[in-house]
Amino acid sequence: MDAGFWILQFLNATQFSMLLFLLSIGLTVIFGLLHFVNLAHGALYMLGAYIGISAAAWTGSFWAALVLAPIAVTLIGAVLYFTLIDRLRSAGPMNQVLVTFGLIFVFIDLVRIGWGDVALGLNAPQVLSGATDLGIVSYPTYRLFLIGLGAMVMAILWIVLSKTQIGAMIRASVENEAMAKALGINVGELFFAVFCVGCALAGLAGVAAAPVLSATTGMGISILIPTLIVVVIGGLGSLEGAIVGSFIVGFIETFSAAILPGLAAILTYVLLAAVLVLRPRGLLPARA
Amino acid sequence: MLELKGVVSGYGETRVLHGTDFVVAAGSVHALLGRNGVGKSTTLKTIIGHLPLQDGSIAFQGSSIDRSPQVNARRGIAYVPETRDIFGSLSVQENLELAGRLAGVNPEWTIARVIDFFPNLKDRLSNGGQELSGGEQQMLAIGRALMTDPKVLVLDEPTEGLAPIIIQQIFAKLKELKSGGMTVLLVEQNLSFALGLADDVSLMSRGQIAWRGTATDLRNDDVAHEKYLGV
Repeated sequence: MDAGFWILQFLNATQFSMLLFLLSIGLTVIFGLLHFVNLAHGALYMLGAYIGISAAAWTGSFWAALVLAPIAVTLIGAVLYFTLIDRLRSAGPMNQVLVTFGLIFVFIDLVRIGWGDVALGLNAPQVLSGATDLGIVSYPTYRLFLIGLGAMVMAILWIVLSKTQIGAMIRASVENEAMAKALGINVGELFFAVFCVGCALAGLAGVAAAPVLSATTGMGISILIPTLIVVVIGGLGSLEGAIVGSFIVGFIETFSAAILPGLAAILTYVLLAAVLVLRPRGLLPARA
Repeated sequence: MLELKGVVSGYGETRVLHGTDFVVAAGSVHALLGRNGVGKSTTLKTIIGHLPLQDGSIAFQGSSIDRSPQVNARRGIAYVPETRDIFGSLSVQENLELAGRLAGVNPEWTIARVIDFFPNLKDRLSNGGQELSGGEQQMLAIGRALMTDPKVLVLDEPTEGLAPIIIQQIFAKLKELKSGGMTVLLVEQNLSFALGLADDVSLMSRGQIAWRGTATDLRNDDVAHEKYLGV
């Protein structure tokens, strides 16, 4: 195992962490704000990939797909919000889990009907195909793009949440919804807007992952588990928690698969159990 | 300014208010007093919209209050809860700015004026809300309410858990607001604090108003004291 091996694993881990981040940030903020457990978030990610592949086929442009898929997924999310999620907000976590878990299978079957049960690929655009020479190693350019995309979203979200008034409104509402309302904040509208952003990021993650992972009907479920672990480890509703949790899970899964393949399947769960025992509210909880 | 008629409210199935009536006159300080558990905080929460009005009516400036707190806040009802509810993840400045969104253009209260009013907050603007002392939190909670340019200030036990010296400061500040014409509805356990500020007093007992009069009336009414406030 030379330096190149470690750099390669580091880049792989970073890229996987960014993907986890795009998904977990939506899930965690939706939970933090709406107190809603949306297991269908992974299905939205899958839809992002399939819609992106079709959009790329229709428009002939990857970039158009990268914009259109999140928009389409947001619209689907908005329909879900008004038909189910808003009504289930006070129904308790068990009902929410049951309904959104059921939605996963509805969406999977809809994808089977629409696209068939085969893995579909998406070609990275010309500029991002091939590999980039990084000195010691050369690394697929598209994966570097994924890392950059994740970092950009992370930076934008961090600036919006920590430096702007809308960010202050979101933080205040996550912390104390009743007091936020008493200060005139329209928490309902704010929640809906945040929900839409969460859906858009799930869609973005789906279409952005398609050239690397290819779209399958199982992709939404297989990413859901590590995403939920990220959210729980980081602390429900916390942006910093989602960032830190994504890197922890991304790095543990990648490095353990490379170094300790026998333990890879359980290490993340061991970590999850440890966090739940030692810091049940997560490493960086949203509420102080 | 604020008129409650036959208000029935509570938590879920548990009714706490059984027909509460009183009127807060514009420009006055109205103290709502009584023993623990008689429904004072519940009354305040129902006025601002945190608890649903199950029966009766609450009128604010002649029209009925809304069922959503954010609409009531926009119409000028500012609430300072017993727990103060400072946003700990926001800086002091952000706590104030957030409330300032409600005020229109050329607001009466700006951050500069709030700092002028509560100089203790001056060096704390960039501190996180969770770093404040109890007294500073109370000042920020009142300052935050003022930033909304309220027409009525609804205060729930502003002296609770505070040192006497801080209580004196808060008292002086509320007195200053009163002489500026602010309408205040005050729930308070500290009787001398409340009577020092109040024009009118309503004494609550079991979810209803059992006695009403001026602060001077209450000072002279030993029976009411004994019956509704004595321990």
